[in-house]
Amino acid sequence: MNSMERMQATMAGKPLDRRAVAPVLGLYGARLINCPLERYYSDPFAYARGQAAVREMFQPDVLYAPLAFASIGAAFGGELVHLDTMPPDLRTPAIQSIQQWNTLVPPDPDKHPQLLYFRDTIRLLAAQYGGEVPIVIMIPIPTEIPDMVMGLEGWLETVLFNPTAAQRVMEKIIPFYVRMVNGFFAAGASFVVMPCGFASSAIATRKMVSLFTRPILVNVLAQLNGPVVLQSMGAPMLDHLDLLTDMPQVSAFMVDQTDDLAMARSVIGPDSVLFGGLDCTNIGRMTATQVEERCRAILEERRQDARFVLGTSGPDVAWHTPPENIRALRKAADSFGRVAV
Amino acid sequence: MDIQQLLIEKIHRGDRSGAHALLDNWAAEYGYEHIPAEVLDPMLMQLGKEWSSSETFTLAQMYVAAKVTEDVMDKVAHLFTLPGEGKPPKGPVVIGNSEDDFHALGRHLVGTFLRAEGWDVHDLGNDVPATQFVDTAQEVGARVIGVSAMMLTTALHIKKVREEIDRRGLTGLIQLAVGGAVFNVCPGLAEEVGADGTVSNALKAAELFIRLGEQSVRKETGE
Repeated sequence: MNSMERMQATMAGKPLDRRAVAPVLGLYGARLINCPLERYYSDPFAYARGQAAVREMFQPDVLYAPLAFASIGAAFGGELVHLDTMPPDLRTPAIQSIQQWNTLVPPDPDKHPQLLYFRDTIRLLAAQYGGEVPIVIMIPIPTEIPDMVMGLEGWLETVLFNPTAAQRVMEKIIPFYVRMVNGFFAAGASFVVMPCGFASSAIATRKMVSLFTRPILVNVLAQLNGPVVLQSMGAPMLDHLDLLTDMPQVSAFMVDQTDDLAMARSVIGPDSVLFGGLDCTNIGRMTATQVEERCRAILEERRQDARFVLGTSGPDVAWHTPPENIRALRKAADSFGRVAV
Repeated sequence: MDIQQLLIEKIHRGDRSGAHALLDNWAAEYGYEHIPAEVLDPMLMQLGKEWSSSETFTLAQMYVAAKVTEDVMDKVAHLFTLPGEGKPPKGPVVIGNSEDDFHALGRHLVGTFLRAEGWDVHDLGNDVPATQFVDTAQEVGARVIGVSAMMLTTALHIKKVREEIDRRGLTGLIQLAVGGAVFNVCPGLAEEVGADGTVSNALKAAELFIRLGEQSVRKETGE
């Protein structure tokens, strides 16, 4: 089986030659090709070279397009700062107050260089690997985009204390978001992973999720042209997972390392794919032996689960992670052998 | 149900205006000057106990608690000549985000809860170099520096603050407190970056800073 066949078989709940393994190695590609991150996160060819190195070294079953959320904020007018061992961040958001939303025009996903960078990278990766490996991009759920435009504090203040204004903001964001994400599908993304910070039980209350996040998600997902994976973004997801089920286009869930996988499975039901694994930061702070042992324990626990993928939770696998730790994920899956369900 | 519990219920629901109304009603009977000691302090203490781990509260609830605290401080500020709602001043402290870290919300929450407890907070903002932390602490006479970081890479920059404190012969005299999401995810990281202490959420920062301030005094007096 190649990676595409393995992922498709996983989605269909069919037997596998081995478990699919899908760590988030977008950033790690820059380390492998020794590419300065400012270039890596602006030049689609540099990024694609990095992912070629990732594919050659680790053979992951998914290749990630750039995970650079701050670039979306920069496309709205925020000031980007490039860092040595992390994806870019926002030094200052585009706007500071809710009033500024009135005159703010969202960037054009078909024209803005920061957004075209994502799309061009997907196109390059899909041209090179599309038939062999699913190409994936991680973009936060729509209710989190304003956080990148005005900062988390301003957005939280708006959602909590000015719900009418928050809805007005989302009326601007939704058409932009739908166009942007459908552009990613058109460029060759197999699926889009959507971190759900604003649905996490670490950040939002159940009331916020059920009255604000979920209705917007349902609306947006129904307008998308491809499958979506809802992801924890390094925060517990289980407590609110029931509020994220039964939504259009959602075919999988990537839960947090702290979430109980069996409970997550019982909430999402048997037909969705469940991704689980080690935290993207902690994987670099363990030994390779510890990584392999932990992964084997996870795989043993999910032995009967036809639609389980071993991955990493949170954003990118940390820069300083030793390569042998990443290989240990795959080694655990290899040694576990076939999945005959 | 007592006023503290009613207030906590409002916070849980994110009902800031409801909290205002509750406080105004209480103050009409007992006076605003009694709110800090008789309502706010016990409420924050109760919340701190209740929110003992990151699984028991949401960031949104913490934010509402901070906003209600700020609201109270604004309401009573004119009644007191001392900062911190008339409490005995606890002294200056320095807080900021680690080098390359631009995630300010946690730091703002810590600043609010420290001010409410009577600390004179010098907030240096985001992306603060190690030398600036220690320079400022020396200038204002702070016994505690609090550094916030969200990601592993920015948390590791805190080692430079530790080194700067030690290089200037201030070990123990200036205590280093750290916090942020990554410290809750990575066991042992606080020790690794050389912190003298950490807590799992902003509400517990005041307690940590008091403890570290006392450690600094003990170091100075040789007790």
